[in-house]
Amino acid sequence: MSNYDSISQEISEIAKKLLKESKVDKVIGFGLGRFTKEITPIFIKKAEDADRLIFNKNCEMSLTKYLLNYKGEKVAIVAKPCDSRAINAYLSEDLIKREDLVIIGINGCPGIEGNTACEECNIRNAVICDYSVGQEMSEEEIQAEIEGFEDEIDKMNQAERLAYFQNEFERCTRCYACREACYVCNCEQCFTDSNKPKWLGESVKLNDNFTYHLMRGIHMAGRCVNCGACEMACPEGIDVRAFAAKMCSAAEEIFDYKSGMDPEQKTLLSEYKVDDSEKGFME
Amino acid sequence: MADSNEFEPKIAAFLCTWCSYAAADLAGSSRTQYPPNIRVMRVPCTGRLDPFLIIKAFNMGADGILISGCHPGDCHYLDGNLYARRRFVMLNELMQYAGVEEERLNFTWCSASEGKRFAGVVKKAVDRVKTVGPWMGFDGQGFSKEEGDLINEQL
Repeated sequence: MSNYDSISQEISEIAKKLLKESKVDKVIGFGLGRFTKEITPIFIKKAEDADRLIFNKNCEMSLTKYLLNYKGEKVAIVAKPCDSRAINAYLSEDLIKREDLVIIGINGCPGIEGNTACEECNIRNAVICDYSVGQEMSEEEIQAEIEGFEDEIDKMNQAERLAYFQNEFERCTRCYACREACYVCNCEQCFTDSNKPKWLGESVKLNDNFTYHLMRGIHMAGRCVNCGACEMACPEGIDVRAFAAKMCSAAEEIFDYKSGMDPEQKTLLSEYKVDDSEKGFME
Repeated sequence: MADSNEFEPKIAAFLCTWCSYAAADLAGSSRTQYPPNIRVMRVPCTGRLDPFLIIKAFNMGADGILISGCHPGDCHYLDGNLYARRRFVMLNELMQYAGVEEERLNFTWCSASEGKRFAGVVKKAVDRVKTVGPWMGFDGQGFSKEEGDLINEQL
């Protein structure tokens, strides 16, 4: 596993080089805020500012979504392994162009503090990158890292699960922070904002909250890379990642599908096989 | 004599117009009886069925859902139901994970000549939903009459 300091240093050096040679217009990365000492996304345009780029245990947000704001510009981006999968997914959906993009991929990602997704993450090396930083982790190291992880919710029975999620979503104020943080959520108009058809009521009721999370969950099927940015963004500390994580594990289990592993890959629900599983169908 | 207080579920049935809707038609015209608990919505193809519609049906108080389309390979639009199949498998996983009973989710295939089978499918779906009782909504509060009227108005 790589350590944070060496990764930060390598990122700064690469960014400096890229900007000096004007290979890119800007570098998107993590840095300390101007006034607070918290990690925020920063956009570096001058080589002398490249030292501001850092990587530490609080770099929780997914930067991938910013790429959509800079279409047509040459941009370099710092990508954690999960972000590199998200970039792959964008490439496969033709949302960004590979030639406009320089990816600084982090290998051997040491994980993010407080992010439960990192506990079950088995992709610890960037899957697509132009420059890699950190030390690559071997398969055995990764397995040792995630050993002993079990989905607690999966072990509950049906009534317990319903009660668990009711208890969680009761706190939801539908601020949509989970939606804003998520790289998948890039629709021109979100279903939550649509009023014809009107999927959800305006007021915050448990029935509608639950419905929102289910609808978001099914949108995540075959696209979510399980980065945990939604969970980190939630101000109420709700387990918003649960449904998306279930969609990831179910896709892997039933269809042997893992999103964002290859830029040529089609999304799960946009293709089919004639002999697909019919799990859960009536006889 | 049947108990008049017995729970009669309301099942939202999404039927593809080319096969299952025709099967329901055949069941009707050949006077095969099936329980009147289903409310049929006719869709051009199961591939048109957004999973949102199914989640929304539960949001609005349907006790269960029944989805039926052409058999895989027999789709009028060649591959609509094959796309739909993956979607339903994923939706089924999600709904069960969220704590919705699997008996409420009924997915099946029914061709236009299977009127008898369609009646059997409906009977089976109704029995399945009856075993788990009324749907109390995602909030577990149930649906009041006012809410029902409001929904009818919106529709």
